[in-house]
Amino acid sequence: MLAYIARRLASTVLVMGIVGVFVFLLLHLSPGDPAAIIAGDNATPEQIAGIRQRLGLEDPLPVQFLRWAVAVVQGDLGISIFSNEPVIKLIGQRIEPTLSLALTTLIVAVTLAVTFGVLAAWRAGSWIDRSLMVVSVLGFSVPVFVVGYMLIYVFAITLRWLPVQGYAPLGEGFGPWIERLVLPSIALGLAYVALIARITRTAMLDVLAEDYIRTAKAKGVATAPMLLKHALKNAGVPIITVIGIGVALLIGGVVITETVFNIPGVGRLVVDAISKRDYPIIQGVILLFSGVYVVVNLMVDLTYTVLDPRIRY
Amino acid sequence: MRTTRRGVLAGGLAAVTATGAPGIIRAQAQPARARTIRAVMHADLRVLDPIWTTANITAYHGAMIYDALFAMDANFEPRPQMVGKWRVSDDKRSYTFELREGLKFSDGTSVMADDCVASLRRWAVRDGAGQHLFRRVTDTPVVDDKTFRIVLSEPYGLLIGALAKLSTSNCWMMRKKEAESDPNQQIRETVGSGPFLYNRDETRPGNRYVYDRNPNYVPRSEPASGLAGGKVVKVDRVVFENIGDEQTSLAALQNGEIDFFEVPPQDLVPDLEKDQNLEIRVLNKTGHIGFMRMNFLHPPFDNVEARRGMQHLVNQADVMRAIFGESKYWQRCGAYFACGTPMENDANTDWFKGGPNLAKAKEFFGKSGYDGRPVVVLQPTDHYFGNPAGMFIAQWLRQAGVNVDLAASDWGAVLNRRAVKKPPNDGGWNIFSTTATGEAFSNPINFSGHAANGDKAWFGWPSNERQEKLRDDWALADTLEERKRIARDMQANAWDYVHHLYLGQFFRASAWRKTVSGVIGMPEIVPFWNMEKKG
Repeated sequence: MLAYIARRLASTVLVMGIVGVFVFLLLHLSPGDPAAIIAGDNATPEQIAGIRQRLGLEDPLPVQFLRWAVAVVQGDLGISIFSNEPVIKLIGQRIEPTLSLALTTLIVAVTLAVTFGVLAAWRAGSWIDRSLMVVSVLGFSVPVFVVGYMLIYVFAITLRWLPVQGYAPLGEGFGPWIERLVLPSIALGLAYVALIARITRTAMLDVLAEDYIRTAKAKGVATAPMLLKHALKNAGVPIITVIGIGVALLIGGVVITETVFNIPGVGRLVVDAISKRDYPIIQGVILLFSGVYVVVNLMVDLTYTVLDPRIRY
Repeated sequence: MRTTRRGVLAGGLAAVTATGAPGIIRAQAQPARARTIRAVMHADLRVLDPIWTTANITAYHGAMIYDALFAMDANFEPRPQMVGKWRVSDDKRSYTFELREGLKFSDGTSVMADDCVASLRRWAVRDGAGQHLFRRVTDTPVVDDKTFRIVLSEPYGLLIGALAKLSTSNCWMMRKKEAESDPNQQIRETVGSGPFLYNRDETRPGNRYVYDRNPNYVPRSEPASGLAGGKVVKVDRVVFENIGDEQTSLAALQNGEIDFFEVPPQDLVPDLEKDQNLEIRVLNKTGHIGFMRMNFLHPPFDNVEARRGMQHLVNQADVMRAIFGESKYWQRCGAYFACGTPMENDANTDWFKGGPNLAKAKEFFGKSGYDGRPVVVLQPTDHYFGNPAGMFIAQWLRQAGVNVDLAASDWGAVLNRRAVKKPPNDGGWNIFSTTATGEAFSNPINFSGHAANGDKAWFGWPSNERQEKLRDDWALADTLEERKRIARDMQANAWDYVHHLYLGQFFRASAWRKTVSGVIGMPEIVPFWNMEKKG
């Protein structure tokens, strides 16, 4: 097992290296000049050229890449072109809101989705099944930002139950913290709920058709233990897999959700950085997201052994 | 290694705890909500050095934490600000300035004359008006701790106006230590002597920028007028919230989560006007001019006849209506120095009054010898003005029989490409459009877009010796009447060689909650002193 984890971690570094090269080239070969953005609309060409030189953007691409890669290996993600703050510090300032949003979304979405999926499978073909699947299709089809605006309009503007935007650190109290995460978590979690619920339903339907479930029913096992203990556990592997894959969906959604709800997280950081061509931040955040995705998938793989003792690495 | 359920749960719990920890550590006392103004401005504050960049949002930052020797009042008259007394020698070649008492930087040190001299010299390297002024400056001697002079080689009537100029880069006073650094290197320090202090601890770059009232600031005794007079701060804190999404900003304003929204989406302003809790007002009475630049370096617009062809194609009302609808917030404007400004005149505007004229446009393009090559029009699809403007320009040109290559990209890419002097088919361009304030256009010297010195001019690189001579004459003129006369000549000449073209003048409304009062309306900068908040 330890050897497996070591191999996976080594491949994580390789994956992030490839991501780094790809992101660097993509950013630097696409049009757009941070110097022109920094200088402002009325700046003269000479002023812009001067800024480019200061920022080292006149150096050949390989030189710029090497400079960045060496620093990253040493744990230095660079300095933001615009704020002149270390990227690692900026990410550190923004990680709490993003983690809060991602975790609340994950907890709420998984709880709801698995419940919906189990219910839909248990009552397959009934109105419960059909209703849940309609909600699921809608959740998967409607873009996050549309859901976000609708939630803002209904719950913040019209009913005034919840704030429109912003984030309150957990340190300011649980109430303000959760109050500002409710709408973003629903908006972000809807597609996630839809995805997991559908997979849960399918996996549960397969398991519920197995002989051992029939045997359990014949032995008089009550419905709830039968569904949760006998069926759900055995349907767990595909569900966990899709939760892991869905992290990519979550990461993409975080970027949009943080923008719509003005949450000062890593997603907003990278969106602003892209519009400004703040290369060090973009590179740093994408490396972070890649790392998270790879680690989550490693954890998913390890979780298989808990759910199914037959799996060995 | 064995992975157990208990282990997974423990890990999850630890992660949740860790998530909360930074917030607990960070919690700090904040001023009461009623003493804090939360504002959404037109852009994110990306650079903190208002001399180094011409970005407007950085000028706002400058106005918060720095002070100026002179400032424009509500009538656009320069008034002393940091200066207490000043005089001009009889030959008008020597200006003596004495700083008023009690001026201190936020680090507690007093503002000295040598701080101001160093600041002036740094500003003069970066700013167009400063450069124009300092071509005539022979010396800037420090007389004593509080007094310094500017000595000129010839009288320069614009001197005080330049020191009080509204458009970026404004002439802010910094500590000598920062001001003596390389003008081409961005200053990272934020030590000023202005009415607010920049709170770095509470600021989150890209998210919010926090300014606290400067308790040591000594305002002038006169009432606030424009950017002049007493800068009395009536709140404890101002926060520039950078909400990336306009709809969210609007909802937050309506919900009372923010107090001030500098530029709400113009198409939604009529709806906002119906909200009883909001006040809607245009703060910049000179508005903005949307304009297009043609590239003088390459065909077809290296030929004046082609530029005249373009001149007869422009239909300002079409562009304005498409962006702002039928609204009181825009107007057609054929005045080279913008409408509603002191230099406005109607010299050589028959083409505008009678335009657009497709037949004439075709005639001029024919005279220019246009050979059918594609005209590259830059279209920034994420820019509220440049995007529709690009589409209109392309359509007008096509109607005149001109081949068009509408080059769509984001605004960042346009900023990059417009600096390219190569031919349009090699990464260059023929036309791009953008906006600037009417106030900026009103001054032939301060606005770099008015320069016609070819290679050294702003993007498009227009070249016209007579225009350059007239700009110099304007700067050296003694009286306002004389300047107005020269401005007429300049306008007649500019529309003759077609320096650039206007796509309409518009006035962006700001919105704020009625709990906020004392908002001062000026072009270029929104002052946050004098503002009050109730409830």
